[in-house]
Amino acid sequence: MTQIRWRALQAVAGLGTRRPGRVYRWSIVAVCVLAVIVAPWVIGEGAQRFLSEAMLMLAMAQMWNLLAGYAGLVSMGQQVFVGLGAYGLFFASISLKVAPFWVLPLAPLLCAAVAAIVALFMFRLREAYFAIGTWVFSEVVSLLISKTERLGGERGVGLPTARLVDPRWLEPLTFWISAAIAVASVFGTYALLRSRVGLGLMTVRDNDVAAASIGVDVWRNRFIAFVIAAAGCGLAGAVSFTATLYVAPGFAFDPNWVVAMMIIVIIGGIGTLEGPILGVIIYFALRETLTVVFGLSAGWYLIGLGMVAIAAILFEPDGLWPLVRGRLGGDWLSVRREPPTPPRIAAATAAAAGVRSSPHGLGATPGDR
Amino acid sequence: MSGLLEVAGLQKRFGAIVVADDVTFSLDSGHCLGMIGPNGAGKSSVFNLIAGTIAPDGGTIRFEGQELGRLPPHLRARRGIVRAFQIPQPFPHLTVYENVLAAASFGAGRSGAGAATAALDVLATMGLAAKAGVLAGQLPLLDRKRLELGKAVASCAKVLLLDEIAAGLTEPEVEELVALVRNLKTSHAIIWIEHIPHALRAVADRIMVLHFGRNVLEGRPADVMTSRLVREIYMGFRADDVA
Repeated sequence: MTQIRWRALQAVAGLGTRRPGRVYRWSIVAVCVLAVIVAPWVIGEGAQRFLSEAMLMLAMAQMWNLLAGYAGLVSMGQQVFVGLGAYGLFFASISLKVAPFWVLPLAPLLCAAVAAIVALFMFRLREAYFAIGTWVFSEVVSLLISKTERLGGERGVGLPTARLVDPRWLEPLTFWISAAIAVASVFGTYALLRSRVGLGLMTVRDNDVAAASIGVDVWRNRFIAFVIAAAGCGLAGAVSFTATLYVAPGFAFDPNWVVAMMIIVIIGGIGTLEGPILGVIIYFALRETLTVVFGLSAGWYLIGLGMVAIAAILFEPDGLWPLVRGRLGGDWLSVRREPPTPPRIAAATAAAAGVRSSPHGLGATPGDR
Repeated sequence: MSGLLEVAGLQKRFGAIVVADDVTFSLDSGHCLGMIGPNGAGKSSVFNLIAGTIAPDGGTIRFEGQELGRLPPHLRARRGIVRAFQIPQPFPHLTVYENVLAAASFGAGRSGAGAATAALDVLATMGLAAKAGVLAGQLPLLDRKRLELGKAVASCAKVLLLDEIAAGLTEPEVEELVALVRNLKTSHAIIWIEHIPHALRAVADRIMVLHFGRNVLEGRPADVMTSRLVREIYMGFRADDVA
């Protein structure tokens, strides 16, 4: 066990041990942006499609992380917004006869609106009941659409308006948009958590009764998180199905969407912004290893991933990020609030260490005096 | 009568069980009302009614002259009615500083530097300044209780509802807590449910005895604690019978 843990740590953390400086970080950002822009001319279509999928999955996982890791809402029905986003985009594009990318903003708007209404009912449920409630809602929507011939029924619909986009640009555009959504999901969540709403969300996650008793509007904070997560999943879902040019209830509302989000977040580290990034890398690395290298069929690789997720829950319930963050220079995207006047705190610490009132002996290291 | 908090004829029952039966009292800032009574007498229920987590069947709660009605708990907290729980309820994954900062941000409605400064001040008052960066979930019990009070103070509470906050502490720790509460009394109205008599006597100006949801007695601590009625209620027999 220890050995496995150590090897995993070495493998993931072999990048460096020094804390990265500001210049270092920004140069990494610049290189990444440049890499994304030129990527479509460098890598093949298959690689583009694969990376697009991974980046959209990261966005969805980050949304699920916002819900479960920061708002205390474990949704098992997040796939409903993936599907609704896709359907919203398809029908908006088809009925308005415009290229799918132009109506992309409609997908998150539709999902946000649906989430805002659904929240009124779902928020009456807590914990496991909420999880089941969201799942049932997703299944109901899926069934309704598959019974509605005007929406393509069970067979689904294609995306003829994709022809309005120059075929040479279809793949690169999907790739860039996916990258933008992935980045937005990470930094958008970061900005949200750094805000006042974020502080409220974290108190709600930790203890909703205590949060209300210090004046936090628990319902409102959860509502904001739920609506944002719905919009994010809707946007990612819409782009995802634009890439396949076809949507059907069986794929759009597949519970495997939320299962993948969950596995990624749990493996990577729930309640951290870096966790889903790490999780998505591990998830896709595992999937490719199992399917391509070992040649496992779809069913078997899912079993493999499931076992990895169970192992993660058993041995590292906080995920892998807490294990490797020290090696990677601490939290890259910390949402911790630091007190504003370090000298005052330092003075207080010194005073406390002087009188030894602290049972933990904080600030007193061996050889201190 | 124009107290900061005025409770009149408060009624609440759960089925056949009466938890509040015509509870009436009034409280001003700078005063501490002790509340005693056997388990199940309805003490915590009175707190729940005042804090808004349960709705009364009858009676009124007026705060700063305004009827609270069905105001939800978080809005009562923002107005200044804040409770400290019997089992401290910190936000375990946030630091001590963030716990208090959240209270200053939401309860007191401060933001930015104002919230940060207020949070630091409260930490200093509560003797927690040195532990600002510690995760609240890792604090020892007395510090958790301090933090519980700190959150209430940072929320700009006017009425503090203290629910058996001395429970589980060692004797010297109780002393420390009593000093802290006495200090808070100068600027707050306090209702304190407590089973430790000397702690209450040291701080409370009046003590109210609840029995089956009724306030059967209210008076000066010394009188109440030595009263025959209190002995009867706690011992479960009439004092005359043994005499």
